[in-house]
Parts: sequence; C-alpha cells; structure tokens
Amino acid sequence: MSQDPESVDEPPPSDTRPYLSIGGARDDDLTGDLPVSGLRPYLLTSGRAEPVDQTLEIEAQVQTVNPGDGLAFEYREIVQLCTVAMSVAEVAAKLKLHIGVARVLIADLAAQGYVIVERPSFPAHDRNLIERVIRGLEAIV
Amino acid sequence: MDLKPSSEPLPGRRRPPVPVKIVIAGGFGVGKTTTVSSISEIRPLTTEAAITSVAAQIDRTGEVPAKTSTTVALDFGCITIDDSLKLYLFGTPGQDRFGFMWHDLAHGALGALVMVDARRIDDCYPAVDYFEKIGLPFVVAVNLFNGELIRDLADLRWALAVDAGIPLITFDARDRLSVRDALLAVLRHARSRLDAR
Repeated sequence: MSQDPESVDEPPPSDTRPYLSIGGARDDDLTGDLPVSGLRPYLLTSGRAEPVDQTLEIEAQVQTVNPGDGLAFEYREIVQLCTVAMSVAEVAAKLKLHIGVARVLIADLAAQGYVIVERPSFPAHDRNLIERVIRGLEAIV
Repeated sequence: MDLKPSSEPLPGRRRPPVPVKIVIAGGFGVGKTTTVSSISEIRPLTTEAAITSVAAQIDRTGEVPAKTSTTVALDFGCITIDDSLKLYLFGTPGQDRFGFMWHDLAHGALGALVMVDARRIDDCYPAVDYFEKIGLPFVVAVNLFNGELIRDLADLRWALAVDAGIPLITFDARDRLSVRDALLAVLRHARSRLDAR
C-alpha cells in the first residue's frame, strides 16, 4: 500500500494519538471505525503483544461496570459498547479490531475494574448445561 | 472465574450470560457462514485473527503461500438460550494452515459441526483429524446444496473413515430448522459421549 501524502499532512485530532487517524478516513473519532488495518496491532496496546490474561476466551462476555472518565480512545469505545454484555469476538468485530488486540484491551479494562468478564465454564463436562442448550434449541420453531 | 471478582454489574443490571459455543468447521465455500446466518439472532459478524504460525501449505484458492503476518476472517453468530446462557457459533476455515485458530475455538466448546461438500470431501479432513485428536465431540454434516445427495452416506462414511460412533447427517444450511437439527445432533452426541464415560 503506497503512502498517501495528503492524509499524512492532515493534522490529527488533538485527543488521539497521530497513528489513529492514519487510514481512518473519518473525522468523528468517537464513533468512527478504528483504522486498524495496516496498523501494527501492538501500537494500540502500549507495546504489549500479549494480553494481561492470555487465556481470555473469544466467547467470554464483557460488561461495563464503570464507564470511567478520561480513558484513552480505544478503551473508551469498549466501555461504551459493553453497556450491553457481549463477547470478546463481538467487541472485536464491532470496533473492527483485530481479535488479539481486543483481547488485550479488554483484559486491561477488566484488570482495572472498568468491565467484568463472564468466562465460560467447562461445559463439555457439564451435562446440565448441555441439556439446557438442547432445550433452548428445541424451542426454536 | 472472574478477572475481577470484586466488581459487580452496575445497579439494575444482571450478570452477563454464561457463554457456550459450538464450532462450525469446513472448507471454503461449504456454507459455514450460511449456516450461522440461518439461525443466529444477530447478523453474523466477522473479525480477524492473526495467522501466527508459518504454514507451508499452498492455498487452494489463490496458490499463495501462507505468511506469518496474514489474517483470516472468523465468522460468528449467537443464540440466546435463556437469561443466563448464550450459545455462540464460530465458523472457521477447516484447513491445515488455519489450524492455529482451532485451539482457541475448540477450547471449552460443547462440540463441533464439521460441514462437508459431497463434491469435495477432502476439504474437511483436517477438521476431522483435529477434533478426533483433541477428543471434541463432532458430527459430520453434508450440506445439501440442491436438496439432493450426490453420494450415499455409507459411501461418504467409508471415504471419510470416521468411526461408526460419529453421527453422519445431511442438512440444508439455508434452512433454519435444518440447522437447528444439525446443532441438536452435535449436542446429543456430546451428551451421549458424556454418558458413556
């Protein structure tokens, strides 16, 4: 991908780090898509390539418990989104984040108490859980 | 296990539902996304996951060697079972070069639906191999693209060399109830495997 000089000359919004505007083609940094394609993912994670909790499952449910003030852009989007509980995978898809990046950011937010994370149990060993899912699917008509 | 056990939801909010998942595996174009779309209560979403290991395989579609830095789309949807339980469906390309993703997807899964296109059955071999290896209950499901089966099931079972205990079914990925029944086949198989222990 060739560098577009025009977009580089464009001054970034003052409250975001410069690379967040590269390739974004959006001015509304609150609701715009995160311009992650072509961006090295660890730029969004303060240099870390591994989540605080590496085992955070992609189906784990994330729910905001403290909206938080003064959070950095990428964290703010997540706490705003997760006022309704959703999975790590949904957060990644909706914010157009690489799933590994979403994992890191969510683990950070959980560690700081902004979100709670409901992690899966080990359903494969739980007959009652399987029964509940069977009944739930049977109810679909 | 919570990451932050001391935190509680904001007043008036219940705890988030417990997530469970079923993996939908199969080759490109076999109808995984269609399957998820047919039954998901949300429009299927796509996210990207990194290919983290070097794969020597040549991609069937583009004949481009897989690189360490490429990403792959992961399609998924969900079904609310009840207030406190939510079923996720994750569709994953069932090819060797995406094998890195399978651990993440399969870990903690209730089971897997391995989709087969009867015209290209070898596309599903890596998924069958993997689920056999890790012991995840799975059902092999032939997607009936035009409502007809071009090879009989006994023939397919022989070609796939799957154990007689592995259910082999047919379904229509475009039909909601047919997809429901295929998922039920996975769950009933998982339950019977549990009972057999």
